Amino acid sequence: MAELHRGKAAFKFCFWLAASVGLFVYIIHSYTSGQMIQWYYYTASLDGYAVDANLSMNATKDKPLVLNIAKQDEVKGLVAIPVAKGDRLPKNTNGVISLAEIKSGKRVTLEGQTIKVTVPWQIKEAKGFKYKDTFKHKGIRTNPWSGAWNVAMVLCLGLALGLVAEGFTDLLGMKIEKIQHGH
Amino acid sequence: MFDFAIAGVQAPIFLLALVGLTVGIVGGFIGVGGGYMVTPALIVFGFPGYMASGIDMTHICGKGLVSTVRHRQLGNIDWTLALSMIAGTMLGVELGVRLLVYFKHLGISGVVLLVTSVALMFTLFLYTQIETNRAHKKMEEMEKAGEELGRELQTSNLPKIFQSIPLAPIVRCRTARVIVSMWVIVLVGMVTGVLAGFLGVGGGFIRVPALVYVVGASTHIAVGTDLVEIVVSGAYGALRHSIEGNVDLMAVLFMIVGAMFGAQVGSIATSYVRGPAIRYILSYSLILATLGAALRLVYVLTGQNVHWLSLAAVMLTLGEMIFLCLFISSLVWFAVRRRGGKWVPDWVGPLVI
Repeated sequence: MAELHRGKAAFKFCFWLAASVGLFVYIIHSYTSGQMIQWYYYTASLDGYAVDANLSMNATKDKPLVLNIAKQDEVKGLVAIPVAKGDRLPKNTNGVISLAEIKSGKRVTLEGQTIKVTVPWQIKEAKGFKYKDTFKHKGIRTNPWSGAWNVAMVLCLGLALGLVAEGFTDLLGMKIEKIQHGH
Repeated sequence: MFDFAIAGVQAPIFLLALVGLTVGIVGGFIGVGGGYMVTPALIVFGFPGYMASGIDMTHICGKGLVSTVRHRQLGNIDWTLALSMIAGTMLGVELGVRLLVYFKHLGISGVVLLVTSVALMFTLFLYTQIETNRAHKKMEEMEKAGEELGRELQTSNLPKIFQSIPLAPIVRCRTARVIVSMWVIVLVGMVTGVLAGFLGVGGGFIRVPALVYVVGASTHIAVGTDLVEIVVSGAYGALRHSIEGNVDLMAVLFMIVGAMFGAQVGSIATSYVRGPAIRYILSYSLILATLGAALRLVYVLTGQNVHWLSLAAVMLTLGEMIFLCLFISSLVWFAVRRRGGKWVPDWVGPLVI
Protein backbone atom coordinates (compact mmCIF):
# COMPACT_ATOMS: atom_id res chain seq x y z
CA MET A 1 0.00 0.00 0.00
CA ALA A 2 2.85 2.34 0.93
CA GLU A 3 4.61 1.42 -2.33
CA LEU A 4 1.48 2.24 -4.33
CA HIS A 5 1.15 5.59 -2.56
CA ARG A 6 4.80 6.36 -3.23
CA GLY A 7 4.41 5.39 -6.89
CA LYS A 8 1.42 7.70 -7.23
CA ALA A 9 3.36 10.52 -5.58
CA ALA A 10 6.34 9.96 -7.89
CA PHE A 11 4.07 10.05 -10.95
CA LYS A 12 2.34 13.21 -9.71
CA PHE A 13 5.66 14.91 -9.05
CA CYS A 14 7.22 13.92 -12.38
CA PHE A 15 4.13 14.78 -14.41
CA TRP A 16 3.72 18.26 -12.96
CA LEU A 17 7.44 18.91 -13.00
CA ALA A 18 7.50 18.08 -16.72
CA ALA A 19 4.48 20.35 -17.26
CA SER A 20 6.18 23.21 -15.36
CA VAL A 21 9.46 22.84 -17.22
CA GLY A 22 7.58 22.67 -20.53
CA LEU A 23 5.70 25.88 -19.73
CA PHE A 24 8.87 27.55 -18.54
CA VAL A 25 10.74 26.68 -21.75
CA TYR A 26 7.79 27.75 -23.90
CA ILE A 27 7.53 31.16 -22.18
CA ILE A 28 11.29 31.76 -22.38
CA HIS A 29 11.31 30.78 -26.06
CA SER A 30 8.37 33.03 -26.82
CA TYR A 31 10.12 35.90 -24.99
CA THR A 32 13.58 35.53 -26.47
CA SER A 33 12.33 34.87 -30.01
CA GLY A 34 10.58 38.25 -29.96
CA GLN A 35 7.05 36.84 -30.39
CA MET A 36 5.90 38.22 -27.05
CA ILE A 37 7.44 41.61 -27.78
CA GLN A 38 5.57 41.78 -31.10
CA TRP A 39 2.33 41.21 -29.18
CA TYR A 40 3.18 43.97 -26.78
CA TYR A 41 4.12 46.60 -29.32
CA TYR A 42 1.14 45.84 -31.53
CA THR A 43 -0.62 49.00 -32.78
CA ALA A 44 -0.36 52.75 -32.26
CA SER A 45 -3.01 54.23 -29.98
CA LEU A 46 -2.43 57.77 -31.28
CA ASP A 47 -0.94 59.66 -34.23
CA GLY A 48 2.79 60.29 -34.03
CA TYR A 49 6.17 58.73 -34.68
CA ALA A 50 7.07 55.17 -33.74
CA VAL A 51 10.54 54.95 -32.22
CA ASP A 52 12.87 52.63 -30.37
CA ALA A 53 12.71 54.44 -27.02
CA ASN A 54 15.81 52.64 -25.75
CA LEU A 55 17.93 54.74 -28.13
CA SER A 56 16.92 58.00 -26.45
CA MET A 57 17.63 57.02 -22.83
CA ASN A 58 20.86 59.09 -22.61
CA ALA A 59 19.77 62.09 -24.67
CA THR A 60 20.15 65.54 -23.11
CA LYS A 61 19.47 69.13 -24.13
CA ASP A 62 23.15 69.48 -25.01
CA LYS A 63 23.37 66.12 -26.75
CA PRO A 64 19.92 65.47 -28.20
CA LEU A 65 19.09 62.28 -30.05
CA VAL A 66 18.41 63.09 -33.70
CA LEU A 67 16.11 60.68 -35.51
CA ASN A 68 15.51 60.78 -39.26
CA ILE A 69 11.88 60.52 -40.30
CA ALA A 70 11.45 57.68 -42.78
CA LYS A 71 8.57 55.53 -43.93
CA GLN A 72 9.68 51.93 -43.52
CA ASP A 73 8.55 48.67 -41.91
CA GLU A 74 11.37 48.35 -39.46
CA VAL A 75 13.57 50.61 -37.32
CA LYS A 76 17.21 50.20 -38.28
CA GLY A 77 19.51 52.86 -36.89
CA LEU A 78 18.37 56.34 -35.88
CA VAL A 79 14.93 56.42 -37.47
CA ALA A 80 11.42 57.54 -36.49
CA ILE A 81 8.54 56.13 -38.49
CA PRO A 82 5.28 58.12 -38.88
CA VAL A 83 2.22 56.16 -37.70
CA ALA A 84 -1.49 56.89 -37.43
CA LYS A 85 -3.78 55.67 -34.65
CA GLY A 86 -4.55 51.98 -35.21
CA ASP A 87 -1.55 51.31 -37.48
CA ARG A 88 0.51 48.17 -36.88
CA LEU A 89 3.71 49.24 -35.14
CA PRO A 90 6.87 48.78 -37.23
CA LYS A 91 9.38 46.17 -36.10
CA ASN A 92 11.88 47.15 -33.35
CA THR A 93 9.73 50.04 -32.11
CA ASN A 94 8.46 50.20 -28.54
CA GLY A 95 6.87 53.61 -28.17
CA VAL A 96 5.14 56.40 -30.03
CA ILE A 97 6.08 60.06 -29.65
CA SER A 98 2.75 61.77 -30.08
CA LEU A 99 2.11 64.77 -32.31
CA ALA A 100 0.84 66.57 -29.21
CA GLU A 101 4.21 66.00 -27.49
CA ILE A 102 6.04 67.40 -30.52
CA LYS A 103 3.64 70.37 -30.70
CA SER A 104 4.32 71.26 -27.07
CA GLY A 105 8.07 71.26 -27.86
CA LYS A 106 9.07 70.64 -24.27
CA ARG A 107 10.79 67.30 -24.71
CA VAL A 108 10.87 66.72 -28.46
CA THR A 109 11.11 69.06 -31.44
CA LEU A 110 10.47 68.57 -35.14
CA GLU A 111 13.10 70.11 -37.40
CA GLY A 112 12.51 69.44 -41.11
CA GLN A 113 12.79 65.71 -41.65
CA THR A 114 14.32 65.05 -38.24
CA ILE A 115 13.04 64.67 -34.69
CA LYS A 116 15.20 65.87 -31.80
CA VAL A 117 14.69 64.23 -28.42
CA THR A 118 16.07 66.47 -25.67
CA VAL A 119 14.29 65.25 -22.50
CA PRO A 120 13.95 61.47 -22.72
CA TRP A 121 12.42 60.84 -19.30
CA GLN A 122 10.31 62.48 -16.65
CA ILE A 123 10.12 61.69 -12.95
CA LYS A 124 6.74 60.19 -12.14
CA GLU A 125 5.25 58.51 -9.13
CA ALA A 126 3.48 55.23 -8.38
CA LYS A 127 2.08 54.48 -4.93
CA GLY A 128 4.25 57.24 -3.46
CA PHE A 129 7.47 55.96 -5.09
CA LYS A 130 9.34 57.83 -7.83
CA TYR A 131 10.52 56.35 -11.12
CA LYS A 132 11.86 57.45 -14.50
CA ASP A 133 9.12 57.48 -17.13
CA THR A 134 10.45 57.32 -20.71
CA PHE A 135 8.80 57.22 -24.14
CA LYS A 136 8.78 53.45 -23.91
CA HIS A 137 5.24 52.00 -23.87
CA LYS A 138 3.77 55.40 -24.66
CA GLY A 139 1.11 55.55 -27.37
CA ILE A 140 0.97 51.83 -27.94
CA ARG A 141 -1.76 49.24 -27.72
CA THR A 142 -1.04 45.58 -27.06
CA ASN A 143 -2.61 42.67 -28.86
CA PRO A 144 -5.93 42.18 -27.03
CA TRP A 145 -5.29 38.44 -26.77
CA SER A 146 -1.93 38.91 -25.08
CA GLY A 147 -3.68 39.75 -21.79
CA ALA A 148 -5.67 36.52 -21.80
CA TRP A 149 -2.52 34.61 -22.84
CA ASN A 150 -0.53 36.13 -19.96
CA VAL A 151 -3.18 35.26 -17.39
CA ALA A 152 -3.57 31.72 -18.80
CA MET A 153 0.20 31.16 -18.65
CA VAL A 154 0.47 32.45 -15.08
CA LEU A 155 -2.48 30.37 -13.89
CA CYS A 156 -1.16 27.21 -15.59
CA LEU A 157 2.29 27.80 -14.14
CA GLY A 158 0.91 28.53 -10.66
CA LEU A 159 -1.17 25.36 -10.71
CA ALA A 160 1.67 23.23 -12.08
CA LEU A 161 4.20 24.55 -9.55
CA GLY A 162 1.72 24.14 -6.70
CA LEU A 163 1.16 20.51 -7.67
CA VAL A 164 4.91 19.91 -8.13
CA ALA A 165 5.41 21.01 -4.54
CA GLU A 166 2.51 18.86 -3.37
CA GLY A 167 3.88 15.86 -5.27
CA PHE A 168 7.32 16.47 -3.80
CA THR A 169 6.13 16.47 -0.19
CA ASP A 170 4.00 13.36 -0.91
CA LEU A 171 7.06 11.69 -2.37
CA LEU A 172 9.11 12.52 0.72
CA GLY A 173 6.36 10.99 2.81
CA MET A 174 5.72 14.23 4.71
CA LYS A 175 2.41 13.92 6.47
CA ILE A 176 0.54 17.06 5.54
CA GLU A 177 -2.92 16.35 6.79
CA LYS A 178 -6.07 18.39 6.87
CA ILE A 179 -6.30 20.70 9.84
CA GLN A 180 -9.28 19.86 12.04
CA HIS A 181 -11.16 23.12 12.42
CA GLY A 182 -13.33 23.27 15.48
CA HIS A 183 -14.66 26.00 17.68
CA MET B 1 21.63 40.24 -14.87
CA PHE B 2 18.74 39.47 -17.18
CA ASP B 3 17.63 41.86 -19.87
CA PHE B 4 13.89 42.34 -19.45
CA ALA B 5 13.23 43.63 -22.93
CA ILE B 6 9.58 44.54 -22.39
CA ALA B 7 10.17 46.44 -19.16
CA GLY B 8 13.40 47.90 -20.56
CA VAL B 9 15.30 47.02 -17.39
CA GLN B 10 18.28 44.87 -16.55
CA ALA B 11 17.83 43.20 -13.17
CA PRO B 12 19.36 40.21 -11.38
CA ILE B 13 17.14 37.14 -11.53
CA PHE B 14 18.01 36.02 -8.03
CA LEU B 15 16.73 39.30 -6.52
CA LEU B 16 13.37 38.83 -8.21
CA ALA B 17 13.25 35.21 -7.04
CA LEU B 18 14.18 36.40 -3.53
CA VAL B 19 11.32 38.91 -3.49
CA GLY B 20 9.01 36.13 -4.68
CA LEU B 21 10.33 33.83 -1.96
CA THR B 22 9.88 36.29 0.92
CA VAL B 23 6.48 37.49 -0.21
CA GLY B 24 5.53 33.86 -0.79
CA ILE B 25 6.34 33.02 2.83
CA VAL B 26 4.39 35.99 4.21
CA GLY B 27 1.52 35.55 1.73
CA GLY B 28 1.18 31.83 2.35
CA PHE B 29 1.12 32.43 6.10
CA ILE B 30 -1.23 35.40 6.48
CA GLY B 31 -3.12 35.10 3.20
CA VAL B 32 -2.12 38.37 1.62
CA GLY B 33 -0.83 39.06 -1.88
CA GLY B 34 1.92 41.34 -0.60
CA GLY B 35 1.34 44.03 -3.21
CA TYR B 36 2.29 46.77 -0.77
CA MET B 37 5.75 45.19 -0.47
CA VAL B 38 6.45 44.03 -4.04
CA THR B 39 5.70 47.21 -6.01
CA PRO B 40 8.22 49.35 -4.06
CA ALA B 41 10.83 46.58 -4.31
CA LEU B 42 10.44 46.43 -8.10
CA ILE B 43 10.69 50.22 -8.37
CA VAL B 44 13.92 50.05 -6.36
CA PHE B 45 15.23 47.49 -8.89
CA GLY B 46 14.56 50.03 -11.65
CA PHE B 47 11.23 48.89 -13.03
CA PRO B 48 8.95 51.80 -14.08
CA GLY B 49 5.99 52.31 -11.70
CA TYR B 50 3.31 51.11 -14.12
CA MET B 51 5.35 47.97 -14.88
CA ALA B 52 5.97 47.34 -11.18
CA SER B 53 2.22 47.42 -10.48
CA GLY B 54 1.43 45.16 -13.45
CA ILE B 55 4.16 42.62 -12.66
CA ASP B 56 3.14 42.66 -9.01
CA MET B 57 -0.53 41.98 -9.74
CA THR B 58 0.24 39.20 -12.24
CA HIS B 59 2.71 37.51 -9.89
CA ILE B 60 0.14 37.72 -7.06
CA CYS B 61 -2.30 35.75 -9.23
CA GLY B 62 0.22 32.93 -9.86
CA LYS B 63 1.61 32.92 -6.34
CA GLY B 64 -1.91 32.93 -4.90
CA LEU B 65 -2.68 29.79 -6.88
CA VAL B 66 0.47 28.04 -5.63
CA SER B 67 -0.55 28.82 -2.02
CA THR B 68 -4.17 27.88 -2.70
CA VAL B 69 -3.14 24.40 -3.84
CA ARG B 70 -1.34 23.84 -0.54
CA HIS B 71 -4.09 25.37 1.63
CA ARG B 72 -6.60 23.12 -0.15
CA GLN B 73 -4.52 20.14 0.99
CA LEU B 74 -4.46 21.55 4.53
CA GLY B 75 -8.26 21.95 4.46
CA ASN B 76 -8.09 25.70 5.00
CA ILE B 77 -10.45 26.68 2.18
CA ASP B 78 -14.19 27.04 2.54
CA TRP B 79 -15.35 26.92 -1.07
CA THR B 80 -18.91 28.04 -0.27
CA LEU B 81 -17.57 31.14 1.40
CA ALA B 82 -15.01 31.77 -1.34
CA LEU B 83 -17.46 31.40 -4.22
CA SER B 84 -20.13 33.48 -2.45
CA MET B 85 -17.66 36.32 -2.05
CA ILE B 86 -16.32 36.41 -5.60
CA ALA B 87 -19.15 38.41 -7.21
CA GLY B 88 -19.03 41.03 -4.47
CA THR B 89 -15.25 41.22 -4.67
CA MET B 90 -15.23 41.74 -8.46
CA LEU B 91 -17.94 44.39 -8.30
CA GLY B 92 -16.12 46.09 -5.45
CA VAL B 93 -12.75 46.10 -7.26
CA GLU B 94 -14.35 47.73 -10.32
CA LEU B 95 -16.04 50.37 -8.14
CA GLY B 96 -12.75 50.99 -6.33
CA VAL B 97 -10.87 51.51 -9.60
CA ARG B 98 -13.53 53.98 -10.77
CA LEU B 99 -13.31 55.84 -7.47
CA LEU B 100 -9.55 56.10 -7.93
CA VAL B 101 -10.01 57.45 -11.48
CA TYR B 102 -12.45 60.03 -10.08
CA PHE B 103 -9.89 61.24 -7.52
CA LYS B 104 -7.22 61.28 -10.25
CA HIS B 105 -9.41 63.67 -12.25
CA LEU B 106 -9.63 65.89 -9.17
CA GLY B 107 -5.82 65.74 -8.95
CA ILE B 108 -5.74 64.54 -5.34
CA SER B 109 -5.39 60.79 -5.82
CA GLY B 110 -1.87 60.58 -4.30
CA VAL B 111 -2.75 62.20 -0.97
CA VAL B 112 -6.21 60.58 -0.69
CA LEU B 113 -4.69 57.17 -1.39
CA LEU B 114 -1.98 57.51 1.24
CA VAL B 115 -4.33 59.01 3.88
CA THR B 116 -6.84 56.18 3.31
CA SER B 117 -4.07 53.56 3.48
CA VAL B 118 -2.65 54.95 6.72
CA ALA B 119 -6.06 55.37 8.41
CA LEU B 120 -7.36 51.96 7.33
CA MET B 121 -4.24 49.97 8.11
CA PHE B 122 -3.72 51.67 11.47
CA THR B 123 -7.34 51.01 12.51
CA LEU B 124 -7.05 47.36 11.46
CA PHE B 125 -3.73 47.07 13.28
CA LEU B 126 -5.21 48.48 16.50
CA TYR B 127 -8.28 46.26 16.44
CA THR B 128 -6.34 43.10 15.50
CA GLN B 129 -3.63 43.81 18.07
CA ILE B 130 -6.05 44.49 20.94
CA GLU B 131 -8.26 41.51 20.16
CA THR B 132 -5.33 39.14 19.61
CA ASN B 133 -3.67 40.26 22.86
CA ARG B 134 -6.91 39.49 24.67
CA ALA B 135 -7.11 36.06 23.03
CA HIS B 136 -3.44 35.40 23.78
CA LYS B 137 -3.87 36.21 27.49
CA LYS B 138 -6.94 34.00 27.67
CA MET B 139 -5.00 31.15 26.09
CA GLU B 140 -2.13 31.62 28.54
CA GLU B 141 -4.61 31.40 31.43
CA MET B 142 -6.21 28.30 29.94
CA GLU B 143 -2.83 26.68 29.48
CA LYS B 144 -1.83 27.45 33.07
CA ALA B 145 -5.12 25.99 34.27
CA GLY B 146 -4.29 22.84 32.31
CA GLU B 147 -7.23 23.23 29.95
CA GLU B 148 -6.99 21.90 26.41
CA LEU B 149 -6.37 24.62 23.83
CA GLY B 150 -8.11 24.57 20.46
CA ARG B 151 -6.51 25.74 17.26
CA GLU B 152 -8.54 28.93 17.34
CA LEU B 153 -9.64 31.43 19.92
CA GLN B 154 -10.98 34.86 19.24
CA THR B 155 -12.69 37.20 21.65
CA SER B 156 -14.54 39.60 19.35
CA ASN B 157 -18.33 39.74 19.57
CA LEU B 158 -18.71 41.23 16.11
CA PRO B 159 -19.20 37.88 14.29
CA LYS B 160 -22.18 37.03 16.52
CA ILE B 161 -23.86 40.31 15.56
CA PHE B 162 -23.34 39.75 11.84
CA GLN B 163 -24.30 36.07 12.02
CA SER B 164 -27.60 37.01 13.65
CA ILE B 165 -28.77 39.07 10.65
CA PRO B 166 -31.78 37.06 9.41
CA LEU B 167 -31.63 38.12 5.76
CA ALA B 168 -32.28 35.27 3.28
CA PRO B 169 -30.58 33.41 1.70
CA ILE B 170 -28.73 32.04 4.70
CA VAL B 171 -25.55 30.18 3.77
CA ARG B 172 -24.07 27.24 5.66
CA CYS B 173 -20.28 27.21 5.28
CA ARG B 174 -19.41 23.67 6.33
CA THR B 175 -15.62 23.89 6.53
CA ALA B 176 -15.68 27.25 8.32
CA ARG B 177 -18.58 26.04 10.50
CA VAL B 178 -20.39 29.30 10.02
CA ILE B 179 -24.04 30.01 9.25
CA VAL B 180 -24.49 33.53 7.95
CA SER B 181 -26.57 35.58 5.54
CA MET B 182 -25.28 35.51 1.96
CA TRP B 183 -25.64 39.30 1.93
CA VAL B 184 -23.10 39.67 4.71
CA ILE B 185 -20.57 37.65 2.70
CA VAL B 186 -21.29 39.58 -0.52
CA LEU B 187 -21.05 42.88 1.34
CA VAL B 188 -17.73 41.90 2.91
CA GLY B 189 -16.46 40.99 -0.57
CA MET B 190 -17.73 44.25 -2.03
CA VAL B 191 -16.40 46.59 0.68
CA THR B 192 -13.00 44.92 0.76
CA GLY B 193 -13.04 44.87 -3.07
CA VAL B 194 -13.69 48.64 -3.22
CA LEU B 195 -10.76 49.27 -0.89
CA ALA B 196 -8.55 46.84 -2.82
CA GLY B 197 -9.44 48.42 -6.18
CA PHE B 198 -9.01 51.91 -4.79
CA LEU B 199 -5.68 51.23 -3.11
CA GLY B 200 -4.45 49.09 -6.03
CA VAL B 201 -3.70 46.02 -3.92
CA GLY B 202 -4.99 42.45 -3.72
CA GLY B 203 -6.87 43.31 -0.54
CA GLY B 204 -5.82 40.37 1.62
CA PHE B 205 -4.86 42.52 4.59
CA ILE B 206 -8.42 43.86 4.68
CA ARG B 207 -10.25 40.66 3.75
CA VAL B 208 -8.58 38.34 6.27
CA PRO B 209 -9.60 40.47 9.30
CA ALA B 210 -13.05 40.94 7.72
CA LEU B 211 -13.52 37.19 7.35
CA VAL B 212 -12.46 36.65 10.96
CA TYR B 213 -14.24 39.56 12.67
CA VAL B 214 -17.33 39.96 10.47
CA VAL B 215 -18.11 36.53 9.01
CA GLY B 216 -16.68 34.64 12.00
CA ALA B 217 -14.39 32.24 10.15
CA SER B 218 -11.33 30.90 11.95
CA THR B 219 -8.04 32.59 11.03
CA HIS B 220 -6.75 29.54 9.12
CA ILE B 221 -9.94 29.36 7.05
CA ALA B 222 -9.79 33.13 6.47
CA VAL B 223 -6.24 32.82 5.14
CA GLY B 224 -7.01 29.90 2.79
CA THR B 225 -10.32 31.33 1.58
CA ASP B 226 -8.83 34.76 1.02
CA LEU B 227 -6.16 33.25 -1.21
CA VAL B 228 -8.91 32.02 -3.56
CA GLU B 229 -10.22 35.59 -3.74
CA ILE B 230 -6.69 36.81 -4.38
CA VAL B 231 -6.32 34.43 -7.33
CA VAL B 232 -9.60 35.65 -8.85
CA SER B 233 -9.06 39.36 -8.26
CA GLY B 234 -5.37 38.98 -9.18
CA ALA B 235 -6.32 37.33 -12.49
CA TYR B 236 -8.72 40.17 -13.24
CA GLY B 237 -6.09 42.77 -12.34
CA ALA B 238 -3.44 40.90 -14.35
CA LEU B 239 -5.75 40.87 -17.37
CA ARG B 240 -6.33 44.61 -17.15
CA HIS B 241 -2.65 45.38 -16.66
CA SER B 242 -1.62 43.01 -19.47
CA ILE B 243 -4.01 44.65 -21.91
CA GLU B 244 -2.44 48.00 -20.99
CA GLY B 245 0.99 46.45 -21.67
CA ASN B 246 2.15 46.81 -18.07
CA VAL B 247 3.40 43.25 -17.60
CA ASP B 248 6.78 41.72 -18.33
CA LEU B 249 6.02 38.02 -18.12
CA MET B 250 9.66 36.99 -17.64
CA ALA B 251 9.90 39.02 -14.42
CA VAL B 252 6.66 37.39 -13.26
CA LEU B 253 8.04 33.97 -14.11
CA PHE B 254 11.16 34.33 -11.93
CA MET B 255 9.13 35.72 -9.06
CA ILE B 256 6.64 32.85 -9.21
CA VAL B 257 9.46 30.30 -9.06
CA GLY B 258 10.75 31.99 -5.88
CA ALA B 259 7.20 32.23 -4.57
CA MET B 260 6.66 28.50 -5.11
CA PHE B 261 9.21 27.72 -2.40
CA GLY B 262 8.09 30.58 -0.15
CA ALA B 263 4.41 29.69 -0.44
CA GLN B 264 5.14 26.13 0.73
CA VAL B 265 6.98 27.38 3.80
CA GLY B 266 4.29 29.95 4.61
CA SER B 267 1.32 27.63 4.01
CA ILE B 268 2.76 24.64 5.85
CA ALA B 269 3.82 26.95 8.71
CA THR B 270 0.13 27.65 9.41
CA SER B 271 -0.28 24.06 10.56
CA TYR B 272 2.29 24.71 13.33
CA VAL B 273 0.48 27.67 14.87
CA ARG B 274 -2.84 28.66 16.38
CA GLY B 275 -5.11 31.39 14.96
CA PRO B 276 -3.85 34.25 17.17
CA ALA B 277 -0.25 33.72 15.94
CA ILE B 278 -1.38 34.38 12.37
CA ARG B 279 -3.33 37.45 13.52
CA TYR B 280 -0.23 38.74 15.34
CA ILE B 281 1.87 38.50 12.18
CA LEU B 282 -0.94 40.15 10.22
CA SER B 283 -1.15 43.02 12.69
CA TYR B 284 2.64 43.55 12.67
CA SER B 285 2.66 43.56 8.88
CA LEU B 286 -0.11 46.16 9.03
CA ILE B 287 1.72 48.51 11.39
CA LEU B 288 4.95 48.25 9.38
CA ALA B 289 3.08 48.97 6.16
CA THR B 290 1.32 51.88 7.94
CA LEU B 291 4.66 53.35 8.96
CA GLY B 292 5.93 53.07 5.38
CA ALA B 293 2.79 54.74 3.99
CA ALA B 294 2.95 57.43 6.72
CA LEU B 295 6.53 58.27 5.78
CA ARG B 296 5.54 58.58 2.13
CA LEU B 297 2.57 60.74 3.12
CA VAL B 298 4.80 63.13 5.08
CA TYR B 299 7.19 63.15 2.11
CA VAL B 300 4.37 64.12 -0.28
CA LEU B 301 2.92 66.72 2.13
CA THR B 302 6.34 68.37 2.61
CA GLY B 303 6.55 69.04 -1.12
CA GLN B 304 8.85 66.03 -1.75
CA ASN B 305 11.88 67.96 -0.50
CA VAL B 306 12.95 65.75 2.41
CA HIS B 307 14.55 62.94 0.43
CA TRP B 308 15.54 60.76 3.38
CA LEU B 309 11.83 60.22 4.07
CA SER B 310 11.39 58.53 0.70
CA LEU B 311 14.53 56.46 1.25
CA ALA B 312 13.40 55.50 4.76
CA ALA B 313 10.01 54.39 3.34
CA VAL B 314 11.74 52.11 0.84
CA MET B 315 14.08 50.70 3.49
CA LEU B 316 11.18 50.09 5.85
CA THR B 317 9.18 48.30 3.16
CA LEU B 318 12.07 46.02 2.23
CA GLY B 319 12.99 45.47 5.89
CA GLU B 320 9.41 44.50 6.62
CA MET B 321 9.62 41.49 4.32
CA ILE B 322 12.72 40.21 6.07
CA PHE B 323 11.30 40.86 9.56
CA LEU B 324 8.06 39.00 8.84
CA CYS B 325 9.88 36.03 7.31
CA LEU B 326 12.13 35.78 10.38
CA PHE B 327 9.13 36.05 12.71
CA ILE B 328 7.27 33.27 10.90
CA SER B 329 10.36 31.05 10.78
CA SER B 330 10.99 31.58 14.49
CA LEU B 331 7.40 30.58 15.33
CA VAL B 332 7.81 27.35 13.35
CA TRP B 333 11.18 26.73 15.04
CA PHE B 334 9.61 27.20 18.47
CA ALA B 335 6.75 24.90 17.51
CA VAL B 336 9.19 22.17 16.48
CA ARG B 337 11.15 22.63 19.73
CA ARG B 338 7.97 22.47 21.78
CA ARG B 339 6.89 19.28 20.01
CA GLY B 340 10.28 17.83 20.92
CA GLY B 341 9.69 18.75 24.58
CA LYS B 342 12.33 21.47 24.56
CA TRP B 343 12.16 24.88 26.23
CA VAL B 344 10.30 27.73 24.50
CA PRO B 345 9.50 31.21 25.87
CA ASP B 346 6.27 31.39 27.89
CA TRP B 347 4.55 33.78 25.49
CA VAL B 348 5.13 31.40 22.56
CA GLY B 349 3.59 28.36 24.23
CA PRO B 350 -0.09 29.15 23.60
CA LEU B 351 0.57 30.38 20.06
CA VAL B 352 2.08 27.20 18.62
CA ILE B 353 0.98 23.60 18.29
